Amino acid sequence: MKNSKMHLSTETMNLGFVRKVEALSGSSVRRCFQCGKCSAGCPMRTFMEHPPNRIVRLLQLGQWERVLAGRSIWYCASCETCSTRCPNKVDLAAIMDALRKLSWDANGPSKESYVQLANRLFIENIKTYGRQYEMRLAAVFNIKSGQFMKDFLLGPKLLTKGKLKVFHQKNRNIGEIEQIFSRIEEMRKKGEAP
Amino acid sequence: MSRIGVFVCHCGENISRTVDVERVAEAAGHISGVAYATDYKYMCSDPGQGLLKKAVAEHKLDGLVVAACSPRMHEKTFRNAAKAAGLNPFLCEMANIREHCSWVHEDREEATAKAIDIVRLMVERVKKDKALQPITVPITKRALVIGGGIAGIQAALDIADCGHQVLLVEREPSIGGHMAQLSETFPTLDCSQCIMTPKMVDVANHPNIKLYTWSEIENVDGYIGNFQVTIRKKARSVDMDKCTGCGVCMAKCPQKKIKSKFDCGLGTRPAIYVPFPQAVPNAPVIDRENCTYFKSGKCGVCAKVCGPGAVDYDQQDELITEPVGAIVVATGFELYSIAEKPKGSSIKGYGEFGHGTIPDVIDGMTFERLASASGPTGGKILRPSDGREPKQVVFVQCVGSRAREKGISYCSKVCCMYTAKHTMLYKHKVHDGQAYVFFMDARTPGKSYDEFWRRAVEEEEAVYIRGMVSRLYQKGDKIVVMGSDVLVGVQVEIEADLVVLATAVQPRQGADSLAQKLGISYDTYNFYSEAHAKLKPVECATAGIYLAGACQGPKDIPDTVSQASAAAAKVMTLFAKDQLEREPIVARVNERNCVACFYCKKVCPYGAVEEKEIRDRQGNLVRVVAYVNPGVCGGCGTCQATCPSKSVELDGYTDEQVMAMIEAL
Repeated sequence: MKNSKMHLSTETMNLGFVRKVEALSGSSVRRCFQCGKCSAGCPMRTFMEHPPNRIVRLLQLGQWERVLAGRSIWYCASCETCSTRCPNKVDLAAIMDALRKLSWDANGPSKESYVQLANRLFIENIKTYGRQYEMRLAAVFNIKSGQFMKDFLLGPKLLTKGKLKVFHQKNRNIGEIEQIFSRIEEMRKKGEAP
Repeated sequence: MSRIGVFVCHCGENISRTVDVERVAEAAGHISGVAYATDYKYMCSDPGQGLLKKAVAEHKLDGLVVAACSPRMHEKTFRNAAKAAGLNPFLCEMANIREHCSWVHEDREEATAKAIDIVRLMVERVKKDKALQPITVPITKRALVIGGGIAGIQAALDIADCGHQVLLVEREPSIGGHMAQLSETFPTLDCSQCIMTPKMVDVANHPNIKLYTWSEIENVDGYIGNFQVTIRKKARSVDMDKCTGCGVCMAKCPQKKIKSKFDCGLGTRPAIYVPFPQAVPNAPVIDRENCTYFKSGKCGVCAKVCGPGAVDYDQQDELITEPVGAIVVATGFELYSIAEKPKGSSIKGYGEFGHGTIPDVIDGMTFERLASASGPTGGKILRPSDGREPKQVVFVQCVGSRAREKGISYCSKVCCMYTAKHTMLYKHKVHDGQAYVFFMDARTPGKSYDEFWRRAVEEEEAVYIRGMVSRLYQKGDKIVVMGSDVLVGVQVEIEADLVVLATAVQPRQGADSLAQKLGISYDTYNFYSEAHAKLKPVECATAGIYLAGACQGPKDIPDTVSQASAAAAKVMTLFAKDQLEREPIVARVNERNCVACFYCKKVCPYGAVEEKEIRDRQGNLVRVVAYVNPGVCGGCGTCQATCPSKSVELDGYTDEQVMAMIEAL
C-alpha cells in the first residue's frame, strides 16, 4: 500500500473526505505548499511512516485510505509545534485531530492500532468512575490487546510513588459527569458535535 | 624632456595597508621625466583633485600618473580633473595599485616594490601619450525596429511618440506576434486581444511609423547613427493601396483547407488570407505555395471578385534601402517542438512523449488558441482528435526547458505562470473537469505572480504533482501519463483526455543569420547577447543596436514591454544629440604598410574595418587598404594584435608605448 502506484482520477481522489477534514479542522489542506517545516520540528517524526507534511500531501491528492491505514496520525502528540510554526497558516494539529476522529468513525483502516482500544477503555473508565482508574485501564488493555506482560515492571514503581491505586476511587459528582456524556450524545444526534 | 606628475593615493587604508605609499611616491620622484610626486589619503576627493590641479599649474606638468584604483573606477574622474587643469585628458593615466596590487598581496615589501614597478610602467606610457581629440559622428534620427510583436510595437510607439521616424519591419503578413495568439494573460486574466489590438491600430495610424509587413531584413551596413538597411518587401500579390480589406477574395477563394499557422494548425484558412480578423494591416496576402493560380495557372477567382482590382499576381519582391540611426531588435521567440529533430541538431525531440505523434498531446500555444474566444473552437476546450470535451487534462511543465539531455539547460521563465493560467481557464470552461500539473519547481517571481499560482492550487483546485513525467502513450482514446509524486515518493498514473506540454521558449529560427547581418553577438542557444547582464541589459555590444523582448532570453509580457520602453529610451537618448561624441581610443591604419590581407576585418567584433580604395588623380585604382571607421571602432585592439604587417595601431595603446612599458621593467 505504502509504495504502490497511485492512479489519479476524479474517482480515485476522494475530495469529499478532504472537505470533511477541512470542515472538522477549520484549516485548509490545499493551502500547504510542502515546505516541510512541520516535519522538521515534529518530535514524533521518527516514529511515523508518513511524516506530517506527507499526510497533508496525501490528503491533497484525496488518498484517504493511505492516510488512515498508517499509524502516523496516532503517534501525533498534539504538541502543536507544527501549527505554531507553519508559515502558511495550516493548522496541522487540528487536521490530525480531525483525521483521528474520522479514523475512529470509519472504524476500519486504523483498527490495527491499539490506540483506538486505549482511547475507548479510557473513555469507558471516565464514564463509569467519573475519573481514571489506571489499574483497570492497564489490566483490561493488556488482556484485550493480548500483550499480557506489557509494561508489567512499571507497576511496582508507580505503586510505590502513589501513581497507581489498587482500588478505584469514584468521583463524588458522578451524576454531573453522566450529564456531560448525555449532553454530548444529544448534540451528536442533532449534528452539533462531531 | 617631459614633466610628469605622479599622485599616489592611500585609498583610505585600501592601498596603504599593504603598500608603503610614501615610499612609492618617493621612488616615483626619482624616475626620469617625473617632475613632481606626492601621496594623499583620498586622491579622488575634492581636496585630492585640487592637489592635482594645483600641481599641474605650479610645476608646469605635461603628463599625469595617478597611482590608485582601476581605471574602470576613476579614470574618468581624474581625466576630467586634468581637463579642468588645462591638460588634454588623454595625457592622464591610472596606475592600478589597488586591484592589481594591494588587494591581492599580503607581503608589504613585495607589494611596495610591485607598486613602484607599476608606476614606472605608466610613467613610460604617459611619456609617449598623444593629445587626442574626441570623435564626432553625425546621427540619422530615424529608428528601425525589427519585429512587430508586443516588444517591437511598444518600442516603435515610444520612439514615434517622441517625434522620431520609425520603420517597423515584420516578417508575417500582420503585426501582433505571439501576444495576438494568446487568450487571456496572467496575472490579471485580461483578454490579450483587448489590450493588444488598440496598440496595433495605434501603430497603423501613427504618422511617424512606417510599417513594413511581410518583409525581412536583407542587409545592414554602417554604424551607430548611420546605418543603411536593406529591407526585402516580399511579394504580397495584393496592392495595399487599392485593397479596402472587404474580405470578398477570402470568402470566394476555392482553396480553403490550408492549416492556419496562427491557429497552430487547429483551424483552416484560404490561400489568400489575413492571419486573423483583427490583423494590421487588414490587407490579405496570397500564399503562393498553396494558391491554385500559382500552382497551375488556372483559377484567378480572387482577381475576378476584387472590386478595386487590388489583386496583382505579377507583383515581385522589392528591395528598399533606408537610412537609420539606431536599431531595436525584437524578433521574439518560438516554441520547442517535441517532434523528432534531424541529425546534427543540438536540440533533441521527445521519443518518450511520442515525438509529437499523439494528436491530443499539444503545446501551450495550441491550448491558448483552444481557449481563445477568437480561436478555431470559439473558446470551447475541445480535443483536436475527436472534438470531445476533455474531463481530465494533464499539464506538464519544463518540457525541453532545464533538460540538458535535450540540449537546453535554461529555464523558460513563463511556463509556470501560463500553466497556472491554463488550469484556471480550463476550470472556468469545464466545471466538472480536473486539471493536473506535473512540475519540477514552481517559479513565480513577479508582482502578484505567486498569489496567482496559489489561487490556481487553492481555489481553482488544480492538482499539482511535483515530479517530471516519464512517458506518455496512447491507450484507446486516452493518453496514459506515467509520472511520480516525489513528495509522497510513489509512482503516479493518470489516464488523461488531453495533455498540454509547456514547451521551452527558443529564439526564432534564423536568429543567428540576422545577428550576423547586424553584427551583434548571440549565445549558444542563439539568444542575442546584451553588452552587460546587469548594467547594460538593453544595449548590444555593437553601438546603436538595442534589444527588446524574448529574442534576448525568455520573457513574459510585463518584462518585454519594460525592456521595449527601455530600448526606446536608449534610442531617444542617442537621438537627443545632433552629433555623437565618442572616446578617441580607436585604431588607425598605416596605409603605407597595409598589405590588404584584411585579417583585421575578419577579427573585428564591431564591424569597424572597411576596405578603402586609394586612387590617383585620374581616378585609377592604385591599391586597396584597410580603413577603421572611428565611429564604429570599440577600441578593443584585436586588429592591432592580429595585423601581420604591424600596420594597425590603437591610440593610447600603441606598440611603441607597450614596448616602452615592457622595457621599463
